[in-house]
Amino acid sequence: MAKVIMTVDDSASVRQMVAFTLKGAGYTVVEAVDGKDALSKLAQTQINMMITDLNMPNLDGIGLIKGVRAMPAYKFIPIVMLTTESQDSKKQEGKSAGATGWIVKPFKPDQLLAVVKKVLG
Amino acid sequence: MSATATSEPTQYLTFELEEETFALDISKVREVLEFSSVTKVPRTPEFMRGVINLRGSVVPVVDLRLKFGMTRTEKTVNTCVIIVEVSFESESMVLGALADSVQEVIELEPEKIEPAPSIGMQLRTDFIKGMGKRDEEFIIILDIDKIFTADELAFAQEASQSAA
Amino acid sequence: MIGEDDGLDAGREAFKEEAAELLTELETSLLELEEHPTDEDLIGRVFRAMHTVKGSGAMFGFDDIAEFTHEVETAFDMVRMGKLAVTKELTNLTLRARDQIRTMIEASEGKATVDHNVSKSIIGSLQLLTRGGQAKEVQGQESGETPAKKPSKTDSADGAHSITYRIRFKPAADLFVTGTNPILLLNELRQMGSSMVIAQTDAITRLEEFNPETCATYWDIILTTTHSANAIKDVFIFVDDMCDLHVEVVDEEGEYDEGEGYMKLGEILAARGDVKIDELKKLLGKQKKVGEILVDAGIVDSGHIESALAEQQHIKEVREQRQKTADGAASIRVPSERLDKLVDLVGELVTVQARLSQTAAINGEVLLTSIAEEVERLTWELRDSTMSIRMLPIGTTFSKFKRLVRDLSNDLGKEIQMTTDGAETELDKTVIEKLNDPLVHIIRNSIDHGVERPDVREAAGKPRMGTVHLSAGHSGANVLIKIEDDGAGLDKERILKKAIDNGLVAPDAELSEKEIFGMIFAPGFSTAAKVTNVSGRGVGMDVVKKNIDALRGIVEVKSKKGAGTTITLRLPLTLAIIDGLLVKIADEVFVIPLAVVEECVELSKKDIERTHGRHVSNVRGVLIPYIRLREHFLIDAEEPEMEQIVITEVEDKKVGFVVDYVIGEHQTVIKTLGRVFKDIEGVSGATILGDGTVALIMDIPSLVRSVARHEPAIAEAVGV
Repeated sequence: MAKVIMTVDDSASVRQMVAFTLKGAGYTVVEAVDGKDALSKLAQTQINMMITDLNMPNLDGIGLIKGVRAMPAYKFIPIVMLTTESQDSKKQEGKSAGATGWIVKPFKPDQLLAVVKKVLG
Repeated sequence: MSATATSEPTQYLTFELEEETFALDISKVREVLEFSSVTKVPRTPEFMRGVINLRGSVVPVVDLRLKFGMTRTEKTVNTCVIIVEVSFESESMVLGALADSVQEVIELEPEKIEPAPSIGMQLRTDFIKGMGKRDEEFIIILDIDKIFTADELAFAQEASQSAA
Repeated sequence: MIGEDDGLDAGREAFKEEAAELLTELETSLLELEEHPTDEDLIGRVFRAMHTVKGSGAMFGFDDIAEFTHEVETAFDMVRMGKLAVTKELTNLTLRARDQIRTMIEASEGKATVDHNVSKSIIGSLQLLTRGGQAKEVQGQESGETPAKKPSKTDSADGAHSITYRIRFKPAADLFVTGTNPILLLNELRQMGSSMVIAQTDAITRLEEFNPETCATYWDIILTTTHSANAIKDVFIFVDDMCDLHVEVVDEEGEYDEGEGYMKLGEILAARGDVKIDELKKLLGKQKKVGEILVDAGIVDSGHIESALAEQQHIKEVREQRQKTADGAASIRVPSERLDKLVDLVGELVTVQARLSQTAAINGEVLLTSIAEEVERLTWELRDSTMSIRMLPIGTTFSKFKRLVRDLSNDLGKEIQMTTDGAETELDKTVIEKLNDPLVHIIRNSIDHGVERPDVREAAGKPRMGTVHLSAGHSGANVLIKIEDDGAGLDKERILKKAIDNGLVAPDAELSEKEIFGMIFAPGFSTAAKVTNVSGRGVGMDVVKKNIDALRGIVEVKSKKGAGTTITLRLPLTLAIIDGLLVKIADEVFVIPLAVVEECVELSKKDIERTHGRHVSNVRGVLIPYIRLREHFLIDAEEPEMEQIVITEVEDKKVGFVVDYVIGEHQTVIKTLGRVFKDIEGVSGATILGDGTVALIMDIPSLVRSVARHEPAIAEAVGV
């Protein structure tokens, strides 16, 4: 069965790009527009991995990662954060919240797939 | 082969099939084994009794009695497998022949051997090299190469053709 | 990837729409911000708008926009962090920047032109603001803003230059909380070259204290690769702050080749810091192996010893391999008959050894049993090394075909290149010899019928140069040899028509694609409209099938019209020995090659009644036809109450064989049945069992074909 990946981003174009790339590689993609939306969708769908932006309204990426890690079913799933900030502080904050890895924006589809493959197998 | 070519005596191994005495040119015989078990190869003629293990090689065994239109050889303490080397399609091949018992090795001068009579014989005359005589008893000398000619052993092809 | 451009275009459209919305929102936010210059929510909104425009812009190819927006984003990031105040100057500049971004987007659609001087002036003013405040910070940020990291893209150290690394990856106990699966990282390393991975478990606690949510295992990896140490470290980029990672070079081509011997076990452990040299020296007085001494003394646990030994072994292998390739003279030539003789002798030894083991088992004498076990071990080792002597790389055969391809394509006015893969794959000498003819036929067919003329290819939008790709590789106990071409592919309709014309199939027969492709191997079949001097005389492909059958191999055809054809030959590694399943019917023992056996199920009299005597068995809801071997082999003896069905699968068709019972697995030395039985259907050879009797080895595909001829149910089931 295809693995399900949730992409969380307030930017429709980023979601579209992530979704398109992942679908092309055979994954099933669920989209969420911000952290709050993501958490509510997690209650209904089972996912295998999450790719989330950090800067989002309502609930930002860091908050989302903390929220996801608090859910027993998602304690150990891979979570990759998208960020334009390559400063260590933000990455560190994400890591301590429980992110598995990161992708620095802008990225190309094959870079995204390489990271997904790396953390999801 | 003509029996008059040489006057040198030839050695023959004699054996019994249904109380008749047969003989084989000793140069064709590699060894004689006790008959223990044979593995039947399915869907082959009855006279092909199967295969045996000859020191790591798999050797086919032929029931000469069945081949000659007699009854099937039953296993007794005397039953033997005579391992012979025959020419088959111009290559030499090792085969086992079942005999009720193996008797002895005798010498016969070529002049003592007469051609097979054309009538009154139970088995095909082309299998017979000649008739020898010892103590008033006739010995049928077999032409082992003829018995196992391509025709005789090509049953497998026939079988597959008839099935097709 | 097909459709990637479509996706990108859709993305660009989405970006433009989104950017337009964001810019409108930005305007509102900025105006409000002028009223409430410290409203964090507003600042956040402005920042996110810029952040998204920049990120998405770069992703969809609007590099100029991304670059420009970066400056505004930088400014608002500083505002967010309280390093810069919202001033009238800043909002003015940002509003101008916003307008400029909109112009840039419009310009991309040809609706406007961008005045680059305006861009420059805005950027200049913004930089003045930000650097005035925190020059150092900004610089740091700029250098940090590298265009996308490539965490898993590995850079090659130096072409074919291979280096062996010793890697110790010791993750922090809380590794799992970040959702990291260490196995994936190890797999990533494995893909970089040849490797040995040893899990170190000495830190794992007792079961009652064990916490499955922590990672107590760590790993030693010995990796020989052409990648650089940085590429290896990149694999662990996401966890670099959550693990101890040591990457050291332990062997390098050209560096350690001369003189230097292998490191001793103790030296390796010392170099890894697992043991101290003086401790080691103190212990070395005793006459035991270093490893044992160290373990006994409790200085090192056995996992570390194992790991160090693995390193020793790995480096030895790497160097030996290098030696082999560098030094061809280190081999001797032996007439192949001598090898054949050796194999025969080993075969006999295997048989005798089986008898010895059986005798020892019956006898029960301890000493005899232990001798028998020792003989068994030695026999298998001898067998394996004897077999390996007969193994040759298939590469020499491959290179022969280069010339064939060149000459044939010249003759036919085609442009064809041959590429190969897996030339180092080893196969039994006899198999390689017998492969030559089938490969010639297949390649000829590919060149003649498969690959099109250059003009035809061009018209079809393909490169003028066609490719025939030969590859070989291992797959379990088999070797797969693939012949792929990028030609026209097989024409299903034409093959079917031809087969019907030639009376090979009934006109109304419904055949699967696989069955239709299989037709090309039928005797007297050729679809080429024109007979050429290369192929197309209707002989060839049937010879291929015959030869491969004789090697106990399987031929598979895959083809896509217009895209090419792939023919796969699946061959056993060696002809002399197979793994078999021993089965018994009455007093007869037979061997079924394990390679085709799927499973064994029971068959009771009740099961037979339930199917009303039809020879089918219901295996977990799937009906599988079976053949009663007792009947087919005309074995005249009463069957037992409970029989067993050995279910086999050949070419995707499942057929069961009913036997009295399954004895078990058996390593079988194959003996030919000789010329007398060479055409017997359903039997491919014989083997000698431990008790010295002979058992026949069944040839399942031929047996099925033979039965299918007089049992319509089987014929229907297997589609013969």
